Amino acid sequence: MNNSQRPIARKSGLVVQEVPDEVLVYDLESNKAHCLNQSAAMIWKSCDGNNSVSEIAKLVESQAGGKVTEDFVWLALDQLNENNLLQNEIRSSFEGTTRREVIKKIGLASMVALPVIASLVAPQSALAAASCACNNPSQCGNPPNSQCPSTTNCNGSGLCAP
Amino acid sequence: MSLWRIEALKKNLSYSRAFDSEIVFESYGVRVKIQATDAELLREAEQTARKALVDRIRILDTKESEHTFGISSDKNDTLFLLQNGEQISFDSSRSRFFKFFNSMLRIVVAEHASGSVFIHAGVVGWKGKAIVMPADSFRGKTTLVRELVRNGAEYYSDEYAVLDEDGLVHAFPRDLSVRDPEFGEMDVPVEDLGGKVGSRPIPVGAVLITEYQENADWDPTKLTVGQGIMEMIPHTIPRNFNTEFSLKVLNTAVSDAIILKSPRGDAGDFAINFLSFFDNFTNLARIT
Repeated sequence: MNNSQRPIARKSGLVVQEVPDEVLVYDLESNKAHCLNQSAAMIWKSCDGNNSVSEIAKLVESQAGGKVTEDFVWLALDQLNENNLLQNEIRSSFEGTTRREVIKKIGLASMVALPVIASLVAPQSALAAASCACNNPSQCGNPPNSQCPSTTNCNGSGLCAP
Repeated sequence: MSLWRIEALKKNLSYSRAFDSEIVFESYGVRVKIQATDAELLREAEQTARKALVDRIRILDTKESEHTFGISSDKNDTLFLLQNGEQISFDSSRSRFFKFFNSMLRIVVAEHASGSVFIHAGVVGWKGKAIVMPADSFRGKTTLVRELVRNGAEYYSDEYAVLDEDGLVHAFPRDLSVRDPEFGEMDVPVEDLGGKVGSRPIPVGAVLITEYQENADWDPTKLTVGQGIMEMIPHTIPRNFNTEFSLKVLNTAVSDAIILKSPRGDAGDFAINFLSFFDNFTNLARIT
């Protein structure tokens, strides 16, 4: 275990929107949107560079009102790391173990909802349109239309756009 | 540089005529200048702009603008479209050219609109609440809007849900873009379908993440606000240009709405059943 590591939540280049029981994070650099459930959000917010993994577990436990293990925190950190939502490099604690196995192990014991981050890549800026003329959607993902407002949709005006 | 770009640049050489006509207009807080090489082209461009932006255009007495489109023709009647000085399209088909111009205008205004967030979605109003259906084109959006309108819903748009900063939905009532297997794409005024346009801004009551699938059963999953916004982000036009405002408005707009996701079958049956469900849901919400 690498529980002495002190993760830092990334702040720059992100737009954060709190919604009921979740946190939305939009990464302006990668055009990726992330939805952190309450558990993942609590752990992310606790990553201030001062708290160790075990300290984060205690903090979240006090907020969530149920037992939170270090593996539980690592499950979130692993996803935060994968989605580039941490400022510093974190060495995963799950080497040799799949996330599925960890979820199974933690899930059976935890009364607190497992940390989950859902992500999607938003299409290019609408203004990136260059030619964008199309007859069918398959023409929208490739040059010269790969920079169009939609890479998957050929709209009714014959344009790779929503 | 792509082959298309090289070809476009070659074509660029063939339209060196000066723009001698121009207008500047404002729409949804965005100032757009259109320049053309002759008055007839400019007239057609203005008509296109009025249609593209549902007549929400105010001609300004200024030369200042944030976005400029230039339209030029060569001796072979090929039309060229420039955006902020860079050629983005050329076409020998006049109708196709102006369709493309129509789309570009809408996208520019939708992306840069001041105080509004444009979501690519069909929208109807039902008993004072908006039913918003974000989806890509060719997913049955217009068909579903049409069926809901046939069943008494007010028409707001088959193209954009225009949200203000309070999350209220404003109508963007362009003619419905109906695709007919025999006649191709046709623009049909909602009045021709026996419907009427919603006249006032309304709150979002439901968001339907749905698309037509043959023989699909409507078996919806109820999404959380966060999940619902994630589904709407790809359809949110200013998501990259004005991300913070877009997310804030989306949150405000859908925080009290029911958000459902499922494929659906026939639009006619679905429209009747969904309006009935929505009535029950809103009645229940009122009681509890």
